[in-house]
Amino acid sequence: MIRESAGHTHRLPPALAPLAALALAIVLGLISRRLFGDYVERIGIDICIAIILAVSLNIVNGFTGQFSIGHAAFYAIGGYVAGMISYYASIQLWDSPTSWGSILSPTSINVVYQSLIFVIALLCGGIVAALAGWLVGLPSLRLRGDYLAIVTLGFGEIVRVLLQQTNEQIFTRSDLHAASRDELFPPPVGGALGFINIPKMTSLFWAVLLACACVLFAWRLKKSTFGRAMIAIRENEIAAEAMGVNITRLKVWAFVFAAFFAGIAGGLYAHEAGTQIGPGDAGFTRSFDVVIMVVLGGLGSITGSILAATILTIANEWLREPTHVWHIGLALLALRLMVQPKQRFRAIVWSLSAIAAIEGARSIAIRLQIDLGEYRMVIFALMLIVMMILRPQGLFGTHEFSDLLPRRRRPGRGFEVST
Amino acid sequence: MIQTHDAPLLDVRDIGIAFGGLRAVDHFSLRLDLGQLHGLIGPNGAGKTTCFNLLTGVYAPDTGEIRLRGRPIHHSRPHQIAGAGIARTFQNIRLFPHLSVIENLLVACHLRSRQTIAGAIFESRKHLEDERMMEHKCLALLDRFELADQSDEPAASLCYGDQRRLEIARALAIDPKVLLLDEPAAGMNPQEKVQLKSLIRGLLEGFNIAILLIEHDMSVVMDLCEQITVLDHGCTIATGAPAEIQADPKVIEAYLGASVETGEPEEEGTADERG
Repeated sequence: MIRESAGHTHRLPPALAPLAALALAIVLGLISRRLFGDYVERIGIDICIAIILAVSLNIVNGFTGQFSIGHAAFYAIGGYVAGMISYYASIQLWDSPTSWGSILSPTSINVVYQSLIFVIALLCGGIVAALAGWLVGLPSLRLRGDYLAIVTLGFGEIVRVLLQQTNEQIFTRSDLHAASRDELFPPPVGGALGFINIPKMTSLFWAVLLACACVLFAWRLKKSTFGRAMIAIRENEIAAEAMGVNITRLKVWAFVFAAFFAGIAGGLYAHEAGTQIGPGDAGFTRSFDVVIMVVLGGLGSITGSILAATILTIANEWLREPTHVWHIGLALLALRLMVQPKQRFRAIVWSLSAIAAIEGARSIAIRLQIDLGEYRMVIFALMLIVMMILRPQGLFGTHEFSDLLPRRRRPGRGFEVST
Repeated sequence: MIQTHDAPLLDVRDIGIAFGGLRAVDHFSLRLDLGQLHGLIGPNGAGKTTCFNLLTGVYAPDTGEIRLRGRPIHHSRPHQIAGAGIARTFQNIRLFPHLSVIENLLVACHLRSRQTIAGAIFESRKHLEDERMMEHKCLALLDRFELADQSDEPAASLCYGDQRRLEIARALAIDPKVLLLDEPAAGMNPQEKVQLKSLIRGLLEGFNIAILLIEHDMSVVMDLCEQITVLDHGCTIATGAPAEIQADPKVIEAYLGASVETGEPEEEGTADERG
């Protein structure tokens, strides 16, 4: 007879992962600013937002194999809805949208209320984005391939133009109370100028917590029957349908989940210090950033999306002033050895020569008094091209980090140990 | 749900479909009961795979009706028909290549799974229990098909014969009542064909199903099937036991081409692609 598969005998308790995520968020939220300063904390938040966007888009583009290039539309919708709720709630309650401190180090009682408002705002942003995803997905997911890409691209542009047509912002409580219906109905979120003065509530704590939630969601979805059915659609749509997979429903679900998390990411971005959400955030440049992360990480690989989102966000910042080449180079080498344990010697030679080349280029640039930071977008684009030539299937292909761990094989008949 | 005991398992009455001016299938009828193995043969382009596509809801028939245990299914979508109990394999293998062998079967179990999204996200006890039961069922099925050793390999890495068998196993994982096999022996060597024949015979006894078989290999069809339907240009030209079919002058004419018509375009592959 067939024995119990080995995987279940030492499965971790289901609550462990969420608790670990919470602990990670608290620890990072408490120590990061003191240890690394504001700049690094902001990059950390940017990474978390990028991770949420990439992992959520991976549910559509990677799992179900559809090609959506309008992800930023949901991101902007979520950001605007969340920003509107927290901004106008703050105006109404305190006549001022500013806030200081965070839930982990409250400076006043308001911070607790504001954090509550913030969480509600994020959730509402996610839900409205999910509704938008459902409305767009229902008719358009019957389309295949290129057609869906065009519809989602068009949707992003529609959202961008609509956001430009919104009303002027209202800055005080008395104006808010005196506002006429015309001033409130297209929502007063600043039109083409962008939505300013949203309370700066996003801290690393919330960003890490929500990024972990998104990753955990995608991971468990992938391991469930729904995730497998979604991947089956990617693998062979006709066979999936013949095997009883309701392809339209699953595609719409994937779209709704992705839109929900994109909305949450937008909410985090809207409340982040030093950023300002505007209609341009719904446009296709932002959408393409996310598509690049998903493709670079490997379609369908959550690990790959996380890694690509992290690397691209850091690279974008690092190229402003490329220092610490050795540290970063060695870190990437370690990563490479982890992903592909084979061909160690080649990897080491390649990495060392790459580091030497970059250092050489830097010293030449310094001697010629060229500011490499000005060329960062060119270098960034070159990096992507080289990456796609060397590894067209993305960093992880369709694999996950767990595939690198020693395989727990199911005991097949040939290996069965009789007792 | 109407379910009368005297209704046949699968009752196909006069279905037909036209693509533009071409009547791909015309007045096709079939009765199939549990435990029966029915063959569907005919020259290339006769409309055999189109029949399968009609039965599985890929196309909706223009005329006629299809009933499964008395219930009309000719307006249902493919996944609903799979749910009602008709499973199929494909002429050109359509596995999920990057999924592992067992995951290919687990996808087919999705239909009968009781999992919920919330259960999956919070890994409720019910969810884990369901997942374990599905895995158990699939391993047992793989064991029967002698594929258990390869359960964690990607489906694409299996050899051709194993891929054909995996496709049959996957179709059985949806607990069908009717199994449609589209040229299961295509590309197999004589030895593999012998194994396939005993496998198909075993399915009838082991799974309590009815099988409809498209096959070009006459040794397989004549050995296995109790009843055979011969199609040519979309029309049924003969139905009967293997011996009768072999002696039927119309069948011989269709196969050997006594009439002048030649140059029939290959239709089955493109019909299967569906856009």
